[in-house]
Amino acid sequence: MSELIKVKQQGEERCEGVSYQDLLNDETIEVPAYLREDNNPYMGNDDISVDRWISRDFHDQEKEKLWPKVWQMTCREEDIPEIGDHHIYEIVDQSIIVTRTGENEFKGFINSCLHRGRILRDNDGHAEEFVCPFHGATWDINGNFKGIPCKWDFSHLDEKDMSLPQVKIGTWGGFIFINFDENCIPLDDYLSPLPEHFSRFPLHDYYKGAHVQRVVQCNWKVGAEAFMESFHTLETHSEILTFTGDANSQYDTFGDHVSRSVTPMGIPSPHRPDVTEAETMRDILELSGRMATDSAEGHEMPEGLTARTYVAETNREMFSEIIGESLDHATKSELEDAILYMLFPNTQVWTGYHGNIVYRFLPNGDDHNSCIFETMILLRYEKGTKRPDPAEKNILRPDQAFSEAPEIGGLGPVFDQDDSNMAAVQKGMIASRKGAVSLASYQESRIRHLHQTIDKYLNA
Amino acid sequence: MTTTADTLIPAIDITDNQTLAVTLEGKNILICKANGDYYAVDNQCTHQRAELSGGRIRNCYLACPLHGVRFDLRTGMPKGELTRVPLKTYPVSVAEDGNLHLELD
Repeated sequence: MSELIKVKQQGEERCEGVSYQDLLNDETIEVPAYLREDNNPYMGNDDISVDRWISRDFHDQEKEKLWPKVWQMTCREEDIPEIGDHHIYEIVDQSIIVTRTGENEFKGFINSCLHRGRILRDNDGHAEEFVCPFHGATWDINGNFKGIPCKWDFSHLDEKDMSLPQVKIGTWGGFIFINFDENCIPLDDYLSPLPEHFSRFPLHDYYKGAHVQRVVQCNWKVGAEAFMESFHTLETHSEILTFTGDANSQYDTFGDHVSRSVTPMGIPSPHRPDVTEAETMRDILELSGRMATDSAEGHEMPEGLTARTYVAETNREMFSEIIGESLDHATKSELEDAILYMLFPNTQVWTGYHGNIVYRFLPNGDDHNSCIFETMILLRYEKGTKRPDPAEKNILRPDQAFSEAPEIGGLGPVFDQDDSNMAAVQKGMIASRKGAVSLASYQESRIRHLHQTIDKYLNA
Repeated sequence: MTTTADTLIPAIDITDNQTLAVTLEGKNILICKANGDYYAVDNQCTHQRAELSGGRIRNCYLACPLHGVRFDLRTGMPKGELTRVPLKTYPVSVAEDGNLHLELD
């Protein structure tokens, strides 16, 4: 007889009160298996050196051993809709031309002319062929060399392979990924179990309704980590505690490259035991920025209904209307909760039926003390209608607030609160006498998971 | 002094993301339509003086066919490093007769 082996979990204590799995027991609709997973194997509780975020040496190790080896999200397929359209993806000091070469075919070329090394394309855009602006060396969009002016002076190149060098490329969920390592594991293996967990959310059919970017004065990991735990809600976003089960969140890790947090919404924080259902309902509609409506005006909760159920049903009705499809199969959790996945190393995607948030944190060029924070909002559109064009990226100046980007609505003020910590964490780490951070055993376990996976790459 | 030019170009003849090169008052002008609005700019890239006609328009940006410099049709401002010189823009309106009306200075 086989024996079930129970894997030791990270941290033994959990917050008192209702757990996420308890809330799933209250669902009236069959709960899909991915929500029932509750998995956070033991990783230890050691302090982590601040060097990982503030030292040039650690940045250089990432430059040498991490970024050249990982699959990384570059853009959306919809950003380059026609053959010849391309996006310039830049990571640390590398530059790639991500090009659509067929209806469902993409290629990634090293953005460097094989003549004198100038970058071939300066901007996102469209090209019938890639002509170097310096001397005119030319390649077709499949990377085949077409020639260079004064060919008589280049007979020594005749025997050389003048095709543009390529990187590995793959797609999932409407995102285009590249990998510099030609011996990397296949994208599908790298992503697992993300595609399976998102099977109810076909992101390739969503369109990009908003895209906002800004430089933040912190290491890219400080930025990413600001969105990897709900523990900070209590002090950083206290106004949302009336409808956020912050300390009841569940944290999971799946292999090396995927982790998730599930923060129940539509229930008050365990730190706020005296909140009424009516207050929860009002505040979640007014403040969360993720519900079907952003106003509680005209919403009267029927007697006997919980805020969690009322808001989920409101979302079900309004989202169904927008997308022209029934959402009868959706659980309350999927209609309302903050279910946020991280794909190693720097991309984070929310589940959701209408309004999936995406975060990406890129090093700001070769600077380890700043990063580029991007957020996209993926939306569904009415079935049978034309897919709307993707939003143009709105690049905020470093001195602008996220709340100055109206297209992200209620998220802007929340990001501004997160922003108030990010640069301050970088500054405080540099000033630290302790020289290390101490993570919460469970609530901050995804951060430990991120760093343990980084170590696997750096030590490989 | 502002010179106005009443063209004989019916506004409806230009569709979204289309360009039309015209000569008005001796100037080579490119009329464009993006997101339902009309724009007019000099038909000459500020990078290498290439003609911009036929350049792709997406999201109110016109791309030069030669090296891909993108200009914001609303302001003429370029994106990227190839040029920092903005494109000259001209106010366009649709006259009562349905033809395009430009203001050239």
